[in-house]
Amino acid sequence: MDYGLLIRSQYKAGDDMAVRFDECMAQARLAEKLGFSSLLKGSHYAGAPLQEFQQIPFLSRVMTECPSLRLITGVVLLSLHKPMDIAEQLATIDVMSKGKLTFGAGLGYREVEFEGFGTTQKERVSRFEENLEAIVKLWTEDNVTMKGSHFDLNNVTLSCKPLQKPTPPIWIGANADAAVRRAARMADTWFINPHQRMETILRQMDIYKKALDGENKPFPDEMPLMRELFVAPSRKEAEDLARPYLEAKYKVYHEWGQDKAMPKGDDNLNLDFDDLARDRFLFGSPDEVTEQIVKFNKTLGANHFILGIHWVSMPNNLVLDMMNIMAEEVFPQVEQAL
Amino acid sequence: MGKMKYGIGMRTQYAAGTDMHVAFNEQMEQARLAEKLGFNSLMKSSHLAGHPLQEFQQVPFLGRVMAEAPSLRLITGVVLLSLHKPLDMAEQLATIDVMSGGRLTFGAGLGYREVEFKAFGTTSKERVKRFEENLIAINRLWTEEKVSMSGSHFELDDAALSLKPAQKPTPPVWIGANADAAIVRAAKMADAWFVNPHQKLETIERQAELYKRALDQAGKPFPDDLPGCREIFVGNSRTEAIEAAKPFLAAKYKVYHQWGQDEDMPDDDNDLSLDYDELLEDRFMLGSPEEIAEQIIAHNKRVGINHLILNFHWVGMPQALCLESMTRFAEEVRPLVEQGL
Repeated sequence: MDYGLLIRSQYKAGDDMAVRFDECMAQARLAEKLGFSSLLKGSHYAGAPLQEFQQIPFLSRVMTECPSLRLITGVVLLSLHKPMDIAEQLATIDVMSKGKLTFGAGLGYREVEFEGFGTTQKERVSRFEENLEAIVKLWTEDNVTMKGSHFDLNNVTLSCKPLQKPTPPIWIGANADAAVRRAARMADTWFINPHQRMETILRQMDIYKKALDGENKPFPDEMPLMRELFVAPSRKEAEDLARPYLEAKYKVYHEWGQDKAMPKGDDNLNLDFDDLARDRFLFGSPDEVTEQIVKFNKTLGANHFILGIHWVSMPNNLVLDMMNIMAEEVFPQVEQAL
Repeated sequence: MGKMKYGIGMRTQYAAGTDMHVAFNEQMEQARLAEKLGFNSLMKSSHLAGHPLQEFQQVPFLGRVMAEAPSLRLITGVVLLSLHKPLDMAEQLATIDVMSGGRLTFGAGLGYREVEFKAFGTTSKERVKRFEENLIAINRLWTEEKVSMSGSHFELDDAALSLKPAQKPTPPVWIGANADAAIVRAAKMADAWFVNPHQKLETIERQAELYKRALDQAGKPFPDDLPGCREIFVGNSRTEAIEAAKPFLAAKYKVYHQWGQDEDMPDDDNDLSLDYDELLEDRFMLGSPEEIAEQIIAHNKRVGINHLILNFHWVGMPQALCLESMTRFAEEVRPLVEQGL
């Protein structure tokens, strides 16, 4: 089992981001010390009122704090970008980190981002697919010529290829059914996002497996699953401590329109807290969290858990405490149970 | 004139086939040495699709190297601003500024390579317009709460950045300019004109007059910091330095010529295909410590440059040679300049 730390790096307006930056670095150092396998950083633009560090410079800086950890883009909002730009930047990260990059990509969903990048929601699928195709070509070939809907590669050879061959692992983050099929077709694995319940994912896992069969591809060795986590010595303590942060967090997602990107039947993020926790989060005492992880592993085959421990407004010490609880009490128990 | 400041230029350019992780370690070593020797800044350039040269990308490189050189200012020299979306650049550079504790200097330029314009879905015809609207948008995103602005290739609709830079009102803005029109733009739109390494001192002198008149027109004072960039090799004599630098520097400028850099330079100084020996006249700082100190003083006295970014490393150059040149500069050239100013 592999465990990754999601460095959310999202903070309230007005927070001193120099202080928060140090806190993020402390999280990374602790993840290294505790034997996590990876570190994941998301991407948002025009994210106010939340403040956040940008993915590419952040991953570049943090790699010095956690040299053993894989560095995961979770996810590049690929529809926004020019493929040569992303191919070049990520290749640099891969070389600088001595081959630690995992390239997670997704569609994005916010209007302000599409507009800011001179594109639209309507174009996002076609841009995603042509961008991904172009990036893989640029990483693996010289003299690439490819005409896209919004770019023109004319005999391009990158300034620097990634260290990992043939490419860094490619994950596609997918919420909706069509995107899950796309993940089977175009990526090394489907990156299961943190928002959906087990029952939804089970249904989609079926879709994924069928799509893999259609492509003659085997089930991937690495099946990553991101989950929000809150662990405390007891369930009651977990509920008391977590409530304010959790509610605030999902309110923002709902305002941003994240729930529109999810399949029917599971698209109301504005639910009651207890309801949200059921089969969706990793939540409770160490024993309970252990059980939940084992269940996800046995039911879905998930074997790389990206843990969303840090929620907006949560003090850093609480994050570090939970990381320690996970390492000391949950990880060993999970190993035993498997 | 103010005390002279020095930066190291980090193009990070290597020949095709070089092991880039080894190259990366060399670059980090150069940065650590610059920190130790008391340099003031480091500069990272930007090229994409750089084959046959290999190089690291600007934003991730600055993100990483800041950890090796915690005192040095971090200069983008330059962001090829015409290629990008302003929301993207504003966000990325703000992150660099905050993570580094407010050390970013934002150098921007037009770019000139067709392969880059095309890959970014634009053309060289659009580059001036895009440059100007992008720079305006970035400044607004950095300084205003919410920005609404309709650009030719982007739309900002009540956009508010995820993070503002640490430096207020913004990090210093430099515009790298070769051609006369760009120098006038630098006077209007930037905190300083960033003098490039390609032109002869006499050309720069002429352009400095142009710059001053444009500043007057814009009602702006001469900047406190006037930055310039030069190729440099510190040897025991001029002849020795010229010979030592030749294989690497000549190769580098051949590539610049192939890329079309000289099309962007003024008519009276735009031929980078010249033989190496003609090319180095009045353009590169190659010589003994005394000769180089003289040249630096001349740049300061004749043009007013007081922040000099020095390119010690070129394609194919052995690391030891580069480190030695850097060290000799700090130990032998720098004190001479201080005495002479």
